[in-house]
Amino acid sequence: MALLELRGVAKVYQQGRIAVPALRGIDLEVEAGEFVAIFGPSGSGKTTLLNLIGCLDKPTAGTLVFDGVELIGLDQKGLAKVRRENIGFIFQSYNLIPVLTAYENVEFAIRLLNRHDKRELRERVMEMLAAVGLEGLENRKPNELSGGQKQRVAIARALVKEPKLVLADEPTANLDSKTSEEVLEVMVKMNKELGTTFIFSTHDPRVMEYAARLVEIRDGLISSDRRRDGAVVSH
Amino acid sequence: MFLTKLAFKNLARHRTRTLAVGLIIAFAVFFYIMYDSLMAGMNEMSYEAIIDYETGHLQIAASAYWEEEEKLPLDHLIPLDLLRMTSLAEVQGYQGSSAELSFQARLNNGINELPVVGRGVVPEELMSVFPLSDKFVEGKMFALGEHKVVMGKRLADLLDLDIGDFVTLLVRDKHSTFNTIEAEVSGLVHTINPNVNNFVVYVPLDIAQEALAVGDAVSKVVVRLERKEQAPLASAQLEDKLRAVAADLAVYKWDDVDAISFSRYAAAENRIILGIILLIAGIAIINTVILAALERMREIGTMKAMGLEVREIVYLFVMESTGIGLLGGLIGVVLGALEVWYMVRHGIDFAALVQLDMTSFGVPVVGRIYGKWNPNAFITVFAFAVAVSFLSSILPGYWAAAKDPIQAIQHR
Ligand SMILES: Nc1ncnc2c1ncn2[C@@H]1O[C@H](COP(=O)(O)OP(=O)(O)O)[C@@H](O)[C@H]1O
Ligand SMILES: [Mg+2]
Repeated sequence: MALLELRGVAKVYQQGRIAVPALRGIDLEVEAGEFVAIFGPSGSGKTTLLNLIGCLDKPTAGTLVFDGVELIGLDQKGLAKVRRENIGFIFQSYNLIPVLTAYENVEFAIRLLNRHDKRELRERVMEMLAAVGLEGLENRKPNELSGGQKQRVAIARALVKEPKLVLADEPTANLDSKTSEEVLEVMVKMNKELGTTFIFSTHDPRVMEYAARLVEIRDGLISSDRRRDGAVVSH
Repeated sequence: MFLTKLAFKNLARHRTRTLAVGLIIAFAVFFYIMYDSLMAGMNEMSYEAIIDYETGHLQIAASAYWEEEEKLPLDHLIPLDLLRMTSLAEVQGYQGSSAELSFQARLNNGINELPVVGRGVVPEELMSVFPLSDKFVEGKMFALGEHKVVMGKRLADLLDLDIGDFVTLLVRDKHSTFNTIEAEVSGLVHTINPNVNNFVVYVPLDIAQEALAVGDAVSKVVVRLERKEQAPLASAQLEDKLRAVAADLAVYKWDDVDAISFSRYAAAENRIILGIILLIAGIAIINTVILAALERMREIGTMKAMGLEVREIVYLFVMESTGIGLLGGLIGVVLGALEVWYMVRHGIDFAALVQLDMTSFGVPVVGRIYGKWNPNAFITVFAFAVAVSFLSSILPGYWAAAKDPIQAIQHR
């Protein structure tokens, strides 16, 4: 069974009296461990799609099944629980908590699970920070870190709780190309090492290079879906 | 625990704002403590003023007289020979006693007339119970048998009277027949008790008894003790002694007197001030939470994306506000303690401060007002400051936490 399964997902934004259709019937299956890029021009619906998958919003029509759970049936609290336990977010503008150090930002996510004792927790956070290449920077506050370093903290924060899925909406849009590559390499590495499923959006062709699967979206519809090796994914 | 830590880190984030709001609360707390201490001090002073010039520590009177005392009746009096059989001086802490014959009168200067309270007294006894001797601004005390009176300087001024002037006291005697006491003004006093200053005319006891046709009787006997804390014990002892002589006589302690009701006013005013403090603190806190929420919109969105529940985000704001309340309350309590300490030690010279004689407003204050320690006030106002900070942050906290996470994340 696929980790994620979307059937006929549509989203219509109501802007005053005008209905803005952002997604118009998305069918998509993502298997556990995949590394998927969603690309398309600005306004094509990438962010909307990621928000729906990330349980931050509800579709106007269609069904989403995540890890065997039908998301439509969940209330705000239920969705929050799914996000807390099984989804990590990486944002375009990092969104670290400014009063917390790098270490504490990562710790925050894992604390929410209440699963680990103190020592275990510390080990995991330190390991994760080391894995994203931030050894020695644990005690820096976000304003003492570069953009690339901040995004690494965000990646560590998203991954530390070992979620089933990590969503990243244009994670490199604020970074220069060299830093972008480094950050993407970290993501690929974590995908390989931990087997975490990644879905990220971008409109930068260079970024797409890193994806194993490319889903193109235009005007709220999937226009192509193929793997790195050239195979077309059928729906 | 992590959330609490985060909340306190947020406090440190805007030090100036935290401090500003904290200081608003601190000032409110400080003000309450100062006000309470001053009120308690004035309360104490007004007890003293009443004890010192009206009630003494104990009063002996017939219970039937006591019930109608404000009318100053001329029946249910105490025959003095009865009292001579009792050795008052044996009671614990005894310092002096004064027999008084109080009566209603109209004081006439030949042109104008004012209602007054006449008080027939034995000069030496009066001075042994009330500290009048150094309160004479002009003239001196009369002796028994003299047709002379002593009154408040203020009352004399109202009727344009000076030492040596003659006045007439119009009275009704025991049989309701009109009578007069003709007397010369021999002394003028000014005390911290406005009643004495404005309404009382002291007359030699024998002159009063004669004019009122009451024989050798008095309305009551006022007893002074060393300290007012001795009143309960002394009162019990005195009652034992009196029971043997006259069953209808009773002993009343200084705090049995109706006039000691000042404290009730103060309590009501304290509640109003506490209310204003709550309002100030509440508004300051609500304002801070809204400001902080607007500034941290993206953070709120991020935390919601991370799966924090609404109540957890509310908790963050509530903890932060409670922290401000604690800080403000603590500063206020410390400043308040310093202020009270100063007021207890040195007092404030209110009269000098406002350049007015406060006694004319019925405030029994001459010279300095001293503060009083009241630990209850500290605890109450501190608890209220913290509770209000806590409570008033809940609603704006919910407002912030209920934001749509998507819009919050995209917020600039
Ligand atoms: N909150 C919203 N209200 C109204 N229209 C919206 C809203 N969010 C997105 N849209 C519209 O939906 C479409 C898809 O937007 P979005 O998902 O942000 O695209 P992308 O991320 O690919 O740039 C756009 O036409 C956009 O204007
Ligand atoms: Mg977008």
